[in-house]
Amino acid sequence: MLKRFLLLRGTELIAVVLLASIPLAVNNSYALGLLTLLAIYGILLIGLDVTVGYLGQVNLAQAAFLGIGAYAAGLSVTMLGFGMLAALGVGMLVALVLGGLLAFPALRLAGPQFALATLSFSALSTTVLNEWEGLTGGAQGLSLSRPAILGHAVNAAGFYWLCLILLALVWMAMRNLLASQWGRAFEALRDSPIATDAMGVGTFRHKVAGFALGSSLGGLAGGLYAFNFEYLQPQSFTYDLMVILLLGVVLGGRKSLWGAFFGASLIVLLPNLLSSRLLFEIISGLGFLLAVVAGSRGWLKKTTPPFQVIAPIIAMGLLVAGGFMVENTENWRKAIFALMLFSVVVGLPDGIMGFAARHLARLFSLKPAALPVASRLDEVLLAKKSDGGVLLELKNLKRYFGGVKAVDGISMTIRQGQVHGLIGPNGSGKSTAVNVISGLYAPTGGEMLLLGRALPRGSLFKVARAGVSRTFQNLQLFGELSALDNVMLAMKGAYRIPLPLVLLGFFKGEERRAQADALALLELVGLADQARVYAKDLTYGSQRFLEIARALARKPELLILDEPAAGLARPDVNELVEIIKAIKRCGITIILIEHHMDVVSQLCDVVTVIDGGQVIAEGTPEIVNRDPKVIKAYLGVVPDETTKNGAVQHA
Amino acid sequence: MLSVENLHAGYGSSEVLIGTSLHVKQDTVVALIGANGAGKTTLMRAISGMIKPSQGRILLGGIAVQGLPASRIARLGMAHSPEGRKVFGPLSVEDNLLLGAYHHLPLFFGFRSKAAKDLAKVYELFPRLEERRKQAAGTLSGGEQQMLAIGRALMANPKIILLDEPSMGLAPVIVQEVFNIIRRLKEAGTTLLLVEQFAKSALEVADYAYVMEHGCIAVEGTPEELAHNEQVIAAYLG
Repeated sequence: MLKRFLLLRGTELIAVVLLASIPLAVNNSYALGLLTLLAIYGILLIGLDVTVGYLGQVNLAQAAFLGIGAYAAGLSVTMLGFGMLAALGVGMLVALVLGGLLAFPALRLAGPQFALATLSFSALSTTVLNEWEGLTGGAQGLSLSRPAILGHAVNAAGFYWLCLILLALVWMAMRNLLASQWGRAFEALRDSPIATDAMGVGTFRHKVAGFALGSSLGGLAGGLYAFNFEYLQPQSFTYDLMVILLLGVVLGGRKSLWGAFFGASLIVLLPNLLSSRLLFEIISGLGFLLAVVAGSRGWLKKTTPPFQVIAPIIAMGLLVAGGFMVENTENWRKAIFALMLFSVVVGLPDGIMGFAARHLARLFSLKPAALPVASRLDEVLLAKKSDGGVLLELKNLKRYFGGVKAVDGISMTIRQGQVHGLIGPNGSGKSTAVNVISGLYAPTGGEMLLLGRALPRGSLFKVARAGVSRTFQNLQLFGELSALDNVMLAMKGAYRIPLPLVLLGFFKGEERRAQADALALLELVGLADQARVYAKDLTYGSQRFLEIARALARKPELLILDEPAAGLARPDVNELVEIIKAIKRCGITIILIEHHMDVVSQLCDVVTVIDGGQVIAEGTPEIVNRDPKVIKAYLGVVPDETTKNGAVQHA
Repeated sequence: MLSVENLHAGYGSSEVLIGTSLHVKQDTVVALIGANGAGKTTLMRAISGMIKPSQGRILLGGIAVQGLPASRIARLGMAHSPEGRKVFGPLSVEDNLLLGAYHHLPLFFGFRSKAAKDLAKVYELFPRLEERRKQAAGTLSGGEQQMLAIGRALMANPKIILLDEPSMGLAPVIVQEVFNIIRRLKEAGTTLLLVEQFAKSALEVADYAYVMEHGCIAVEGTPEELAHNEQVIAAYLG
């Protein structure tokens, strides 16, 4: 624990001290300029990494936000006579607001459409900067002089230190943010936006906030950029820069502050390294060696597929050979970047930092921080009164898809503390019904009352907040999060610290409590010893159980389990039955959709049978099992014979 | 027809199969049962070439196929009906079936007439599919999609069909229908390797069965032998 803390924080501290002391040791204005740029690009890439790394979206607007921030800060100095800090604030604010405005329409789009939306935004903004000559000076550019900080003029070294301090502050704030519920939400909504909403964590608001935050860091970097060069031109903020920024994030390593820092150093240093023939040959030679050594090692250990071994070697070989044939390496800058990017994307998909982090963690045998002791289950899931009163009432619920009447007038009453079974043939409308209740679909007609109040319609997020929680038939776990984080993300009422305090790091206490509570729920489903395992690496049965634990973290009034036993073998089915019994003992009301009739018979107090979108029978399992309509539509054989026929009695 | 000998396979550095061996004779139905995470689906994926085994041999009709790409193995006569059905949702039922016969059909002209005989055979087995032949596969019910997945596998005229959890997520009445179909396939002389959670039903249709635990075969025998094995009864039959 202490070792981990010392190593991680110590490295950061040493890096800052080293970087800060360089101007004292070396008196070289060129080197100082590069270092200043490094700090500025560091801030810019940390911002870009929020969208590209954490939200998983290709964002092509960061160069534009750099430009917008630069002009906003620059103009507030030339026209309004602002000081440095106020001007930087203006740059950040303008980028934050524009970023939020762009995010609203753009983040409703996905994948390539989002990339195109950000691309058109950046085309638009450079055009405006270019053409609005009255304000920006157009293609002529905008000259300004570096303003004073709180009345003190700043020299080059002082400005460098300012940039470095800001980088350190941004670094700490982002580290805190990403370690908190916010960071978890960013990662979760990349893996499954549906489940993020269903767990009561607003997908859209987090996306917009993340994008606006990344943009505002672009704006801050822009302000620094303006005061570094003291001259701005719209052409500096076009696609060329954008491509290089993306290269920096991918090359350095996504989802990593150090990755952004390494990316920034590469962006700053590469053009300068290319200007010296010798340096270029050394670098390309080293790259080639790295590709050969890492590739052949992976190949011998059979961990790397052949393409991943050969392609980077060929690309780097091409770079070495090209170096001997080409007259002037600087003219070939973009081709060189392209070859390097290709090698990294293929050979080191996690970037340099992702690769290094894996090996460093092994080298120092770093263990993840220890987990707290699990809370008591009855303190996490406070016992609810279960007096059999009405919890959920559906009146004539309808949902049509075009002409298909998937749910065609279902009325049913779900009572507190009961396990209410919902069965019916495939395509009968059970899943549609629970999708309407949980807000995935809006109903076409009818009423839904939870404890007498109307249930929100057509919003997973609002229904989840109203106290209804669910699992999914096709698993919707956050694969890149650990089992523990999956549960913590959904933990209701655990996160109350406001954002500014989170940025300052005052959230560790509530984080520990949420961890302890989440562990209790993992214990309930028998996964406590796998708390640190990524959800995607769990076995299928464990994934089903994790979905239940995550849904319970909402501390719901009503829990909807959508075919929890599908694909489970008998030992796991037995465990599932015990888990559901334990949940029932906590007083949580359950709707259970299931095809395994022995599970239904063991657990359910009431069973509703649906066929063709309508209720065809309702009653205790015994009554329903003998209903001729149910036998014909669903069971297929008379229940007395089912024990002999293994297909019905689960075996 | 199919021999798996001492097979090792897994994902990345984690090995799921540790020395699995099994044999499927021609014209027999072999059932494979076991707990979740035992490695049944991984074994199926390794046999059909979707993942590469790190060690061991797979013989299909006497030809070693381990390490070949999945498309080559399919052409050699292996049809895999995967867990979760995986039909091509936006394509029509008939197009799904035609894709199943992709290897045998000419690319541009005359593929419909060439496939007509096999199509008729599949439609005879699954009249429901013929009713819905123009419908997009994604709009079928779960049971119909399972029939389509089996039908698609049959279209390739395979030497052996791997059937991974055909009953998953289906209503009891449909599960019975699926097992009836398996019985009819068996009567028609189809060679089948069947992975199934409904152990009792699977043992009823099978000629021979394997129980898998922790990446290797724990017990094997005829259904009668397994039905009397205490260990199997306790864990899977109850």
